[in-house]
Amino acid sequence: MDTISQSVVKKDHGPKISGRSIYVADYPSEGVLCGRLLHSRLARARVLRVVVPELPEGYYYVDARDVPGDNNVNIVLDDMPVFCRDTVEYIGEAIGMLCGPDEKLVERLRDECRVEYEELEPVTDLRAATEAFFSYSYGHGDVDRAFAEADRVYDEEFETGYQEQAYIEPQGMMAEPEEDGRMYVHGSAQCVYYIHNALTRVLGCGPDGVRVYQDVTGGAFGGKEDFPSILGCQVAVAAHSTGKPVRCVLDRREDMECTSKRHPSICRYRAAVKGNRVTALDIDVVFDAGAYSTLSAVVLQRGIIAAPGVYNIPNVRVRGRALKTNTVPCGAYRGFGAPQTFFAVEMLMEHIARDLGLDALAFREANLVRQGDRTSTNGVYHFPVPLPAMIDEIDRACSYRKKRLEYAAEQSGRWRRGIGISLDYHGAGFTGSGERDIIKAVAKLHKYRDGTVEILASNGEIGQGVRTTFPKIVARELGLPLDRVFFCHPDTARVPDSGPTVASRSLMVVGELLRRAAIRLKAEWVNGEEQEVEEHYREPEFQLPFSLDRFEGDAYPTYAWAVTAIELEVDTWTGNAKVLGAYADFDVGTPIDLNVVTGQMEGGLLQGIGYSSVEKMDHDAAGRIRSNSFSDYLIPTAKDVPNLKCMLHVEEYPEGPYGAKGAGELPLVGVPAAYLAAMEQALGGRGLRHVPFTAEDVIGALAKEEG
Amino acid sequence: MVNTSGGYSAFSLQEALELRASQDVIPYAGGTDLMVGKHRDADYLFLSRVPELRQITEDAGYVRIGAAVTFSEALASPLVPQLMKEAVSGIAAPAIRNAGTFGGNLANGSPKADSVLVEVASDAKLRLVSRSGERTMDVDGFCLGRGRTALRSDELIAEVLMPKQSPDCCFYEKVGGRSALAISRVSFAGIFDTQDGRISNIAAAFGAVADTVLRFRQIEAMLIGRTIEEARALRDSYVAAYAEQLVLTRGRVSAEYRRAVCLNLLNAFLSQCGL
Repeated sequence: MDTISQSVVKKDHGPKISGRSIYVADYPSEGVLCGRLLHSRLARARVLRVVVPELPEGYYYVDARDVPGDNNVNIVLDDMPVFCRDTVEYIGEAIGMLCGPDEKLVERLRDECRVEYEELEPVTDLRAATEAFFSYSYGHGDVDRAFAEADRVYDEEFETGYQEQAYIEPQGMMAEPEEDGRMYVHGSAQCVYYIHNALTRVLGCGPDGVRVYQDVTGGAFGGKEDFPSILGCQVAVAAHSTGKPVRCVLDRREDMECTSKRHPSICRYRAAVKGNRVTALDIDVVFDAGAYSTLSAVVLQRGIIAAPGVYNIPNVRVRGRALKTNTVPCGAYRGFGAPQTFFAVEMLMEHIARDLGLDALAFREANLVRQGDRTSTNGVYHFPVPLPAMIDEIDRACSYRKKRLEYAAEQSGRWRRGIGISLDYHGAGFTGSGERDIIKAVAKLHKYRDGTVEILASNGEIGQGVRTTFPKIVARELGLPLDRVFFCHPDTARVPDSGPTVASRSLMVVGELLRRAAIRLKAEWVNGEEQEVEEHYREPEFQLPFSLDRFEGDAYPTYAWAVTAIELEVDTWTGNAKVLGAYADFDVGTPIDLNVVTGQMEGGLLQGIGYSSVEKMDHDAAGRIRSNSFSDYLIPTAKDVPNLKCMLHVEEYPEGPYGAKGAGELPLVGVPAAYLAAMEQALGGRGLRHVPFTAEDVIGALAKEEG
Repeated sequence: MVNTSGGYSAFSLQEALELRASQDVIPYAGGTDLMVGKHRDADYLFLSRVPELRQITEDAGYVRIGAAVTFSEALASPLVPQLMKEAVSGIAAPAIRNAGTFGGNLANGSPKADSVLVEVASDAKLRLVSRSGERTMDVDGFCLGRGRTALRSDELIAEVLMPKQSPDCCFYEKVGGRSALAISRVSFAGIFDTQDGRISNIAAAFGAVADTVLRFRQIEAMLIGRTIEEARALRDSYVAAYAEQLVLTRGRVSAEYRRAVCLNLLNAFLSQCGL
């Protein structure tokens, strides 16, 4: 393995582990107003009047009337208001903000606000939803003919639930008017330029009228991709209106009820099978977008592009819709639409294989894509598809094939075992031509007179290690010790727009820009002089242009691959399942730091296990999320961490730094199908079709068996 | 006595009882529930330094666990019954077991309290003290449901009295949503004993499924005094009696799930007893 893979101590390790890092909640409160949001209590209503209690001096109420520019947050369609318009569309929507010096008094005043509503009929059930924010379709081949000629036809529906990102630090933003009239906004975030752009629109100012800085951020997982733009605009409006610094840090319940999470989904798959080949898939994907469109367009795109999985299916028809419901807007979470469709297609393959009396893995292998094959969108798999070798590696690591046979025998007694496997990819980087047409990333290196080099890029450290891996790349090219190269949290007043911290793109795309910049800096290096070099994104020459209108072309330049196997044991007395082992093989190209990558892979696997099992969140008919605390919404604890074995299979990507590809999202994507396949085997092979599959579901399934 | 900003610290039981009677205070031992509770502005009576409440002792009939004894201390004590240790070792996580106490688990009034379940199954008694005297009551009558207890506003829980017994068979199972830091969704404790070939005790207690820990003594009576053979013959009707009585509430999980798991655990207990 490349020497760059050797682990170093993360640059932010010391301050974080010793408690010296300053998070947005840690800045002194003196002179800062505490902001508390007034949330809607109804899923859909006209807001007739807000009766605000008499406010003591120094206390303020702000709402849509205080927005100096346009009351719309720039995300994709810009339909989400900063503060509600004449109607509220979900429980938790921000109506206004109370601000003042004393937190408790602000909360009391907020609670004393009386909102007069005219109730409207909400749509909270996804199955009853009809309004589509986005509706896409694409396909190739002759699907109808393939169904007409099929030996067998399958028709199944799969469901997935919400998943809460459960970052350890809740959402928090702070806005401070600066003396020159500029608004300084900072806090817990992934994408400083998203916030920056949203602010210019809401404040009605030019790009120099705002400055956005990412504070030390306690986890994000996608949850801080869109919401900080919303909260950032809210505190900025409050700071603009009051002329004082305003900070709003959500409490946990508020955060869980009112901020984005993974889209619940219903996927219907029809399959035509001839021999042991799937000849056609006819797929209908529905995502619950919630009340505003926010990021649903791009989440849905990634979801439907991945819908046929890692298989070469000659005839495909895919329809995808993101439907509006009067519930919290869903957004980004590790995997970004793909976990839902990969779950569906992998369970479908499992079920077809069983029906055909074939081994589920062998059936998958017979249908796999290979290098040079066309992708679902008629792009090309330009690089090797290492899945067959990875399958063998997993089999060696956990004796998958042997256990699969062993556990297929009838089981009785308290504990029953199963093992399941799934195959998936993560399309590395932004979907489609986003990198070329929208992001147009720029990154800079600034060399100081003393020979130290600062990386200027807008990617934020959110635990994924960019403050360490970026400097590793630059230090290597420049031949400098790692402590001579540094990368601070991004400040839009200082760094160019190298794009958001999303889509597992930072290392692969921006890391490569930095590598190229470092090569140039080395060539131009003059001792004792201050120097700066800048690099711009170039689309790889091999990449086929992607048309979003037709869903045609290379949706991604390359792919990271995963094989995931889960072995579990079900307690038939209680319904609880214990994961005996989670084994996964990942091809993320060259790891730029083994510890960082291993941490990412293990963490993602565990989040996937939570998503598949205990992480259950839903809303009642009124649209209220009840599991809004960590005693109601369970995530795996240290004691639930099973035997995690993560392996790396390296297929170098020539356009990534030293062969690196996108990594962060990959480990979660394949877990639900592997988990449920294992559960299905343990429960005797009945067809299961939803996650999370909880202890209650197990007891329910066993009751059916007896009944 | 120290009057701190959050309330009062007592250093003897006498001092604690004086404060309890004269001030509007919430008794605070480990504070693991109170710290995350809603009484942020309340005055607390801090009890963790009252020596009389921190001992584990025994006499002829009972192991006596002080109300401010922590779960970790109980786990380290040779006196505490094994069944109790089994339950206590599954409470929350080590940091919480280092602070959480037997008195707090009781006073919290939750049917999900894991130590209380074992106390109910074991026919434990509580010694309640006040400035004007003391009384001993069955733990079964102490918890009244939904956070309410029989504790008077001038009283403190002094001790839990665990009957000394060495039964033929004990059974404990906690069903949480995960392996640690899990509030019980269903919990079950069973104690089985025979004397001269006849069943002398068959206690079955169900936690976390209703307002209080459930125990059905009239059903237990079906088998008391029976031989193993007779009890085996009665097993089906015994289980059916529970099935009829277990009318459960829904909480974080459905009532049907709770009922199914309760019956599974009851059956497992009976099988372990050889019935």
